[in-house]
Amino acid sequence: MPNERELDELCKYIVTKGKELGATHVEARAQSGVELETEVELGQVSTVSNKMNEEIAIRLYVGKKMGCAFTNIPTREAADEALELAIAAANATTEDADWVGLPVKSKYPKVEELWDDSVPKSDSSDVVRIVGTLIDRASSAVEGLIPAYGASGALAYHSAYANSNEVEHSEKSTNGYVVIGGVSQTESGMTPMVVSYDIRRGLKLDLDFVVEDLATMMKLCKIPKKGKTGKHTVVIAPHAYQQIFEYTLLQSVRGDNVARGKSKIGDKIGEAIASEKITVVDDGLNPRGVNTSCADDEGVPRQKTPIIEDGILRSFLWDTYWANKMGVKSTGNARRNMRQGLVEIASTTIVVEPGEREIEEIISGIEHGYYIRGVQGAHSSNPESGDFSVVGNPAILIENGKMVGAIDGLMVSGNAFDILKQVEEVARMPFYLQGTIGPEIVFRDVDIIAKE
Amino acid sequence: MFDELEKAVETGRNLGAEYVELRGESGFIEYIQMEDRNVNALTQRLERGIAIRVLVDGAWGFVSTGDLSAIDFGVESAFKMAKAAAKTRKDPIALAEVKAFEKKETLDIERDPRHVPIEEKIKYMDDMTTHIRDFDDRITAVTVKVRTASGHKYLVTSEGTRIQSQSTLVWAYPWVSGKEGTKLSAARYEEASTHQGWEYLEQVATPEYVGLNAAEKVKLQLEGTPAKGGSFPCVLGPRVIGVLAHEALGHLAEADLTINSSFNGKVGEVVGAEGVNMTDDGRMPGMLGTSGFDDEGVPSSRVEIIKDSVLKELMTNREYAAKIGQRPTGNARAESYLFPPIIRMRNTMFEPGDFSPDELFEGIKFGYYCADFRGGQAQMNASFQVGIQEAYEIVDGQLGQPVTDLSISGIATDSLFKIEGVAKEEFPWEAGRCGKGQEAFVSSGGPRIRFLEGGITFGGVTN
Repeated sequence: MPNERELDELCKYIVTKGKELGATHVEARAQSGVELETEVELGQVSTVSNKMNEEIAIRLYVGKKMGCAFTNIPTREAADEALELAIAAANATTEDADWVGLPVKSKYPKVEELWDDSVPKSDSSDVVRIVGTLIDRASSAVEGLIPAYGASGALAYHSAYANSNEVEHSEKSTNGYVVIGGVSQTESGMTPMVVSYDIRRGLKLDLDFVVEDLATMMKLCKIPKKGKTGKHTVVIAPHAYQQIFEYTLLQSVRGDNVARGKSKIGDKIGEAIASEKITVVDDGLNPRGVNTSCADDEGVPRQKTPIIEDGILRSFLWDTYWANKMGVKSTGNARRNMRQGLVEIASTTIVVEPGEREIEEIISGIEHGYYIRGVQGAHSSNPESGDFSVVGNPAILIENGKMVGAIDGLMVSGNAFDILKQVEEVARMPFYLQGTIGPEIVFRDVDIIAKE
Repeated sequence: MFDELEKAVETGRNLGAEYVELRGESGFIEYIQMEDRNVNALTQRLERGIAIRVLVDGAWGFVSTGDLSAIDFGVESAFKMAKAAAKTRKDPIALAEVKAFEKKETLDIERDPRHVPIEEKIKYMDDMTTHIRDFDDRITAVTVKVRTASGHKYLVTSEGTRIQSQSTLVWAYPWVSGKEGTKLSAARYEEASTHQGWEYLEQVATPEYVGLNAAEKVKLQLEGTPAKGGSFPCVLGPRVIGVLAHEALGHLAEADLTINSSFNGKVGEVVGAEGVNMTDDGRMPGMLGTSGFDDEGVPSSRVEIIKDSVLKELMTNREYAAKIGQRPTGNARAESYLFPPIIRMRNTMFEPGDFSPDELFEGIKFGYYCADFRGGQAQMNASFQVGIQEAYEIVDGQLGQPVTDLSISGIATDSLFKIEGVAKEEFPWEAGRCGKGQEAFVSSGGPRIRFLEGGITFGGVTN
């Protein structure tokens, strides 16, 4: 696997060569990765895999005409071929009058602990052992558990970026993870799959947390309950609201959607769009964030961007293209689909500021309500209107201050921008998920439709 | 590429692997995205890669690499990884026996997308934008995506299979946004072919056809009334029935998922109302999910999942066929060399019944007709959800006003018994992509079907 210095050299070569070939502006991003992973089926490790990937993406301009190219071969010869394709593409396309320029030089933040040596030093037996231990412990903790799915991984990446504005940056990062998806037989069929995981920079993973989290949910899922249609208090776990927000709120704070008139809150900066109990930050520098890095995918420094502060809309998220067009500064939120050549605006880690009370205390005060741990169908939400209509699954009934069992086929409907105003409280203890760090949020008067 | 793959198979065999499978790919792949007439992505790439899968002591090792000079290293790594996994297994993985094939599969393509000028592709997208913009003044933003691919796949196994197949893809997808006052809405549509070249977008999925299918839905949403939450009698149209077949039932009938789902142990049992028949067929000429062989070299086939209301057969790969004692159905598919093959659907449908379409609407005092969807998802407890982007009220047996975004759900094992009528009619298929950890191009469809109240739950406003 080429290291970040070798990738850096390749990126600089591409920039120089691209200009020689007639491009007026050139950028290159290169990434190499080794992904050592296991997969568990029916409670046993079925596959160990190793994906060795090299990816080199080029974006260049001839005047204001843009072309991209990709190669998975990290050599100068392959880069030359890719450059020719990118130049040909730029020459064939139309001029983009809105394009201003590529990113310029900036100072990068120091982010500690992105790399953990335990990951590149691990081998097949390490990842097999981690997931095997988890399966064994979870099976002991949950009677009747069927570990339907499981996986573990040790992932190491090197990346580099260079452009014709003399921006040069390289870095490396690792991730270790373990995940389990459990089901259990019930009298009438099967429970929903409950998924629990831990993901960090290294392989010191918290199996105790994963087992306890899974066991708590599985025990509830095995007790069938009925729901009631109507407007109810609903506690939504971050596993669920991260999906609903991904397809509604977070689409509306993307600068490109704001600029194109596709955001319902595009003209609401400085206004209250949510309950004052809600503060949401995009934190590209959070040490527990899986997407944390020094720079985004076009070499712009990552940062911490407040989105909603005490209910007030504070900022949108930007990449360089749309920030330039709208006369603002990039917030370091560019994400590049390497193979497609598409640079899009994407959140890094969404952090919901915790409240003061533990979730158990909050639930103890709810006479009738629902705890939604996961949802089905968030991706079918309407990102522009904010309307969503999902199945809560698992959906847990709260009765007389306690979680008492699970309901099949419970629908949760609403509008993301409306329910943000219906936040009653935020719990104290955050979950550390991929892309989201936050505790449960309690919403009042949410439309619940129970299956008859 | 065959020579390199065969050499690697030999390496795996010499190491002592029970089974060695090498898949190679080489081809042209292209992605173009246009936003409000500006091209913001235009990437053409030539990509080659190898997938190595070995079965050793009853466990799999898998390596993917783009570096063809590293094949032997990859085989050795896969062998070691399988060994590490095998030590932990109580039941060794076995494969159902299949016939080895030596075949060369070709396609009849008129215009290889690789050789279609970029200018022509951009014009296609620009024309689509024009059709969409001209359809309604309230349309505010248009994004058009086009993907094409053209190449070859190679499969060599230690059992003597040696298959070369030609691959192609043309895919068009508009996302359209509309605004009226403070009301915003959006809709999408997609069409694709894995058997024809650029001519499919010229002659079938034309800019006008694809563009207007998305634009019309935005208009309906802007003019629609909110859905009521609850359970209502309803008729689901072919595009929604197709996705229901895929999400609600198809996934439960994929043997790797069945075993952990509410369908487990139900083969041979009645699982639906009278007249319910559902099939997955990988042999239908020209369809999106059709191919001669799967990625394990097993011929594609027709799987009668539900026959006369009885769960009859599951979709399998070689591993699960051996595990459950059923035939391999040719449903092992891999997105690319970056992934191992897993059980996937191909062309999934409800079979036509014997109701006239008009009969399906008769007697419904209030209900919904769902015509088009946007996404869907299944869960192991047979719970399904389908987002609906085009729906109408049914009032006194007649189609009424359009309805804004909603979604429908149900528990498949219950809903199937609430089917009250299946239309006897030809139906259009919808082109889709399934994401079960990897992308697979699939098609789904079925005639219009009526459900009793209690079969389908509608997400929406409650009183």
